[in-house]
Amino acid sequence: MGSIIEMDNVSKVFRVLNRHPGFKGTVSDLFSRDYKNIEAVSHISMAIEEGEMVGYLGPNGAGKSTTIKMMTGILEPTDGRILVNGRVPYENRTQNAQNIGVVFGQRTQLWWSLPVIESFRILKEMYSIPDSVYKNNMAMFDQLVGVSELYNKPVRQMSLGQRTLCDILASFLHDPRVVFLDEPTIGLDVSMKSKIRDLISVLNREKNTTVVLTTHDMGDVEALCKRIMIVDHGKLIYDDSIQQLKQFFGSYRTLKILMPGDAQITDEKMEKYRNDLLAQCPDSQNVVFGTDEEWLTILVPEDQVPLMNILSGMQTILPIKDMRIEEISTESVIRKIYEGDERIPQPVERTGAAAGEAAGG
Amino acid sequence: MADKKEKLHRGILYYPRIYRMIITQDIKSKMHYRADFFISILGMLATNIAGFVAFWLIFQSFPSISGWSYYEMIFMYAFSLLALTPAQIFFDNNWTLRFYVLSGDFVKYCFRPLNLFFYFISEVIDLKGIGQLAFGSIMLVYAWAHLGLAVNVQMILLLIAALFSASLIMIAMMTIASATCFWIINSGIVMVFLFRFKDYAKYPMTIFNPGFQFVFTFLIPIGFISYYPSLFFLRTAELSVLSWLSPVVAVLFFLLAYKIWMRGATKYSGTGS
Amino acid sequence: MDNSSGRLLFNNAGRLPFRRYLSLTRGGILESLTYRTGLFLNLLGNLVYMIVMFFLWRAIYASSPSTIVNGMTFRDTLVYLTMAGAIFSTLEVYLVWKMGRDIQSGQISLYFTKPMDFFLREFFYVSGNVVIQLFLTLVPTLLIVCIFTGWSIPLGWNLLFFTASLFLALLLNFSIDFIVGTLCLYTQSFWGINMVKEVIILLLSGATVPIAFFPDTFRTVVLYLPFQAIYNVPLQILVSHTYTWADYARGLGVQLFWVVVLVAAGRLFFRQSSKIITVNGG
Repeated sequence: MGSIIEMDNVSKVFRVLNRHPGFKGTVSDLFSRDYKNIEAVSHISMAIEEGEMVGYLGPNGAGKSTTIKMMTGILEPTDGRILVNGRVPYENRTQNAQNIGVVFGQRTQLWWSLPVIESFRILKEMYSIPDSVYKNNMAMFDQLVGVSELYNKPVRQMSLGQRTLCDILASFLHDPRVVFLDEPTIGLDVSMKSKIRDLISVLNREKNTTVVLTTHDMGDVEALCKRIMIVDHGKLIYDDSIQQLKQFFGSYRTLKILMPGDAQITDEKMEKYRNDLLAQCPDSQNVVFGTDEEWLTILVPEDQVPLMNILSGMQTILPIKDMRIEEISTESVIRKIYEGDERIPQPVERTGAAAGEAAGG
Repeated sequence: MADKKEKLHRGILYYPRIYRMIITQDIKSKMHYRADFFISILGMLATNIAGFVAFWLIFQSFPSISGWSYYEMIFMYAFSLLALTPAQIFFDNNWTLRFYVLSGDFVKYCFRPLNLFFYFISEVIDLKGIGQLAFGSIMLVYAWAHLGLAVNVQMILLLIAALFSASLIMIAMMTIASATCFWIINSGIVMVFLFRFKDYAKYPMTIFNPGFQFVFTFLIPIGFISYYPSLFFLRTAELSVLSWLSPVVAVLFFLLAYKIWMRGATKYSGTGS
Repeated sequence: MDNSSGRLLFNNAGRLPFRRYLSLTRGGILESLTYRTGLFLNLLGNLVYMIVMFFLWRAIYASSPSTIVNGMTFRDTLVYLTMAGAIFSTLEVYLVWKMGRDIQSGQISLYFTKPMDFFLREFFYVSGNVVIQLFLTLVPTLLIVCIFTGWSIPLGWNLLFFTASLFLALLLNFSIDFIVGTLCLYTQSFWGINMVKEVIILLLSGATVPIAFFPDTFRTVVLYLPFQAIYNVPLQILVSHTYTWADYARGLGVQLFWVVVLVAAGRLFFRQSSKIITVNGG
């Protein structure tokens, strides 16, 4: 029994024509041989089991969208093999589409000027959804997020959050086996993000739908994904659980400081703290300052300098109303990976047991 | 195992039903602009009527156009109007294709389990062509009566078949024109350029020299929009083999256009990384 | 801010703010030049049109018992229609499109915040494209026609009058567009209205079918309308071998008359209508 998504040594090379504007450009482009080869995806192999919720991360331009497009059947791989639901997506686009759902953050796939319930009705016909399935799903959606209040609202009049909500529901409506969510929480406020994360989590659990989530939002990753894959420059550089990843950065801890008063923590202030701290603690040159809402955060590499030294140093620089010590945040981990820290492990060949461990939980 | 192409099992009414639902959304959204709707119909009617008036004026001072009489010209004109209407009404979304492709929004059409071309085209319906349909029909009846053409089942069926195949020509032309947006930047200008050719479809091919007859028959085949099919009604004695070939040419041309469009839609790399 | 009372050509210091307006023309020229591919295909399209007209009228004349109909030979008709096409390209200002779009998007309210008079501002801007078309379309077409017809177009004083006539025709075309564009304020729709306007102008000005071929009563009526002052008058000035100074004066006079009437009507109409925007906020 195969995995629900399988990629075997998949590569995608784009031959991009260097286009030129204007009349001469258009004519010369027709005869041009001036192509650039861009390897957007390079020898990626992976297997995703049914019911898993996987985070697919990577800096912009890393090849995330390209991989997703290949999985959804829009692009054909240059090399290698992809199987989704046992099918080759590119060769069976419409059949593949019947069994997947896709959501783009910010780009709605619903009909703009219709009340959203009409969009659902059209989708019911389009996917040939049986009446009973439709009714049950709509009832479930209503129970989860109260969507019936929005039925008569045209999509055009909805807020971004409401629209995204409806797009996500629409993507699950036909009980697909795999759903691809591309930046679903982008641009949303905190409470809406939380609502949507809950929704995705419940739908994944209740329907055992496999979810592939591409995102830049660490909150999404933290809340939803036990397994993450990181892509950079077209290569898969990490494929395992978040915990594993954090363990490799185990020597890092985050010191969080709350100062009295409401003053904003600006870049200039942080620069000043940095310099002052360096004067106090000469070993502190590799700490990283940041902010987390009203907290000042300091990422401390404890193999270079004990966190307590940093704390005492900071106590002489500024007034401390409250403080916390935490393990390294996921965001910092990811950022370090994007920056090319060599410490991460190479992707491990996924065995059934290991995959099941990551998916279950 | 899975590499062969499967077929989704759906009823024969699947596509018609979806079509009805999707165009309903476009009609409903345009209902808000009622004044614009009626004025647009008026605008189209104005151009149609102007074409008629132009012929009328010419025939005030001249007896014929290369042997073609007034009513024959009106027939060809009306026939061309009717043949151009389906492209106008049903395939209007071709004009916005390039914007979708440029913005990247085109991908949303690729995730649904139905034919890409069908889905994209069904999103928009342009009802202002109804005025042209009405005017063209009236003019056709007018010319038909004055030419003393027979009115029987055969003729009606022939007319419908001829109009159907003629309509495919313009549809195919504009589909190819819009598909260029998958490959070049200035596709809108190409569309505008080709769109002008429809105005020449109302003239008989015999007025052109052999060179241009070739151009308008085999390169930009506007001859098949009105002239060649009309020969079945106007000059059955002078039927050209091309008249008999009209439906074949029309269907092949449309299939070519469809293939080109689909190839562009599935092969262009799209924006984003 | 409505500082345009009547025809305010002089600014507060009593000087013609010509430089400001000419810079608009320059802007219009630059914008047109960026549409190079469009220009090329436009020319090609016009060429195709002329070729079709050539064949059409050749066929029309072929069936006629005489070579001169209503005073025009085949060559006369062709020269007339070719030059009409060239004039059309030159005078096409797309003002209704621009105003219609701005009205629909609400951008039109921006124009009232600028200190320049709307009518003048738009006129000088679109004249940029006119300049382009003049050199790209009109002059070459004129030359080609002259060469192919063995210099049948007289080249003398008539060219001077033709230039003046063309300028007046531009003003006329512009003011009609301006009136129609203002009409769009009321209907929120512009495509249909623009079509009607174009069709009427082209038909009744003789650009589609020369006025010589209109039946008598029809012709008399049409000669009293402003539309023929856009195409027919300049064309006659250009091609006529028999025109006298009086004829030139009459032609230009008719144009001037219509220019005064329509520019005044247009500005008044716009000023009245713009109250809709300033009251309703666009």
